[in-house]
Amino acid sequence: MRKLKVITLEDDVDAVVRSLDEAGIVQFIDMREKVEEWNGILASQVVSTEVLTKCSDLLSKIDASFENLGLKHEELHSKKIPITKEPIEEVLAKVEQNLAELPVEALTKCSALTSRITQLIEILGVKPEEIKEVILKKPVEESLAEIEYELSEIEKTAETTGLIDRHAMVDRIKTVAAREEIDVHKKLAEFARVRIIESKPFFAKRLLTLKKLVEKARESIEAETKLGKTHESLLTLRKIVEIEKQVAEEQKKFVRSAKTIYFEAWVSEYNVKEAIERITKVTAGTSIVTDDPPAPDEKVPIILKPVPNYLIAFEKLVYSFGHPTSRDVNPIHALAITFPILFGIMFADVGQGAIFVIMGIILTLLRRRIKLEEVGDIIQYLLISGEMFVFLGISSIFFGFVFGEFFGPSGLIHPISLGKIGPFYIGGFEPTHEPMKMLKFAIFVGAIHISLGLVFRFVNEIRHKHYKLAPIPICWLWLLIGSLYMWAYWRGISNISKWFADGSLMLAGLIILPLTFILVFTGIAEGFMEGVGFSVEVFAETLSHSMSYSRLMALGLIHAETLSHSMSYSRLMALGLIHSAMNYLFLVLAGVEHGYFPLASIPLIAIGTLLVMIIEGLVVFVHTLRLHWVEWFSKFHTGEGIPFKPFKYT
Amino acid sequence: MDPGFISLMGIVLAIGVPIISAAITIITCGTALAGIGTERPELLSKLIITVVLGEALAIYGLLIAFMLLSKLSDITTMEAANKALISGIIIAVATISAGAGISYNGSSLIGATAEKPETFSSNVIGVVLSEALAIYGLLIAFMIIGQI
Repeated sequence: MRKLKVITLEDDVDAVVRSLDEAGIVQFIDMREKVEEWNGILASQVVSTEVLTKCSDLLSKIDASFENLGLKHEELHSKKIPITKEPIEEVLAKVEQNLAELPVEALTKCSALTSRITQLIEILGVKPEEIKEVILKKPVEESLAEIEYELSEIEKTAETTGLIDRHAMVDRIKTVAAREEIDVHKKLAEFARVRIIESKPFFAKRLLTLKKLVEKARESIEAETKLGKTHESLLTLRKIVEIEKQVAEEQKKFVRSAKTIYFEAWVSEYNVKEAIERITKVTAGTSIVTDDPPAPDEKVPIILKPVPNYLIAFEKLVYSFGHPTSRDVNPIHALAITFPILFGIMFADVGQGAIFVIMGIILTLLRRRIKLEEVGDIIQYLLISGEMFVFLGISSIFFGFVFGEFFGPSGLIHPISLGKIGPFYIGGFEPTHEPMKMLKFAIFVGAIHISLGLVFRFVNEIRHKHYKLAPIPICWLWLLIGSLYMWAYWRGISNISKWFADGSLMLAGLIILPLTFILVFTGIAEGFMEGVGFSVEVFAETLSHSMSYSRLMALGLIHAETLSHSMSYSRLMALGLIHSAMNYLFLVLAGVEHGYFPLASIPLIAIGTLLVMIIEGLVVFVHTLRLHWVEWFSKFHTGEGIPFKPFKYT
Repeated sequence: MDPGFISLMGIVLAIGVPIISAAITIITCGTALAGIGTERPELLSKLIITVVLGEALAIYGLLIAFMLLSKLSDITTMEAANKALISGIIIAVATISAGAGISYNGSSLIGATAEKPETFSSNVIGVVLSEALAIYGLLIAFMIIGQI
């Protein structure tokens, strides 16, 4: 990312912005907040409200024309709008003039007439037939007026006579014939000879002729105007006005002296050259352009790489919290792994996991057929998260096998042990029967999760070149793993007196040493007093913040509190048990025993599953999200990044 | 007193009070959410966290009540009955505190987010920390039930 600094003449600035808008490669920096820094040398650029009002005016006028003509707002792809060097005011004036020249009124009349005739044709049930070429005998406006008059006559006749009154018909024919300069007597004689007036065909023919006349009128109107087809010119005008409006809005970010304008903009490394070329070309060399790398601690917008379809839901979860800052680790890929794991631990169930997988596959298939814009909000979210449901379901199935759950602890599947690390059993037990094992497992998972966060923090510090801060997360990691090891080695917090007596050397190595290092490194990086302040802060935070369970455990404070702070990840256990218990409730009600599902139990199990999957599923989802947002992101993901949104006409 | 009656009182507390806390939380946050939804519907999906966390309180109560219910036949002594009652009181107090926290923080969070969406990530901490209080109570109540 590079920073462009541009000084240009006042007269050129509109063209410069237009040119950059066309390329869509720069993001203008709002300079208004920095105006004070220049001590009155520069003032903020004031965009006159007249311009903006005129833009809105013109837009609403154009929209009204669209509505009157019954035309649609289509995207205008084909036509490229040339970049002019004129100021916005002149461009808008031209647009207004062009708009006035457009024969909108006459065309509106044409559309109205066409629709009236079509309606009448439908009512009378006239079959379409070939009409010989018609010629407009008078100027378009007059012809239209005549056609309208005749049409209303026909309408009246159709209403009053129902097309069967011969006398009335003869009168009408007389008037019509008189206007069309047909020999009335000859016509009437014809009718008299035939005796029966075939009124309907006559009107039908007349109506079709009128329709043709209107079409002709329309064609000639469009042919007369210089601007070509009205629809397209309206679209073009609309686009011009919209661009001008954006150009004007964007200029609010600039600052100016008496005759020159100064602005700064972000541009990616690849596009620097093009941006500079464009500015120089438009201003014919009368501008000063420099490009600099961003200052070390400046907030640089980040270019967000598009993620594959199956990660979109996870991307949304991360970006709802906030965007990563430039150079930070983007946690989407890691989250796509940890999120299902934590969800699966809380929602461990083979049967319900399988339902999630099926649901996910169906949603994914549906998404290809349904247009996302056409469905409601909730359906849209469901469709987007199709693949995520598959991920979550697979994880649920996996942990269902580990904890032996099939639609609850039905006894159909027996828990499968994945091994044992110290006092931590990974699977091989039923959480409802051995909640303490589950609690230890939950804390173990939490420690791994937090460690991952600390590693990311380390990577971030290195990427930001904060080498003095980089050792701190490593020390935290040391502290976390060390205290966990001590906790495991001395069989829990209840033997804390032994930590200090027999294990004093271990305590020094695993806990006091990293703590000291943390103090020292913070002192080096931030100054000694900040180091002390920071450690006090950490202490206070440790007391109040559940995420820091490890830190507090390390400090070896009163074990009840330590225990209470280890609880953030203990919700893995709590919610896992709740899930199991809720399912168990329905298993008991349905009379399922020892893995045998009687036929009569199935409806009740189905209702239970539905309830559990909707209510409990939502609760578990939100808790998983919370563990990530609060406990995990607080380690490395500040969410303060600004996405790079280049200025471009949309 | 009859141990059976005392443990039933425990169950009443364990299911009744969390449900009331959840209701209060949902009432406060739900109405705030509805008000904001008319102006900023795009924020609803993010802010629904307040209502769901409130609802979770009732589920915690349900869990403890259900655990007590399944132990009801084992409770014969006064000691066991007292443990059942105490665990009910613990979850009741914990969910009331969490409910109070979520209602106040949640409705403020909703208002603040509507005004400035970027403050969401820091403001949500108040809500989730309040909610953690209930988990603490749940765990201790759970452990006490384990000893019956």
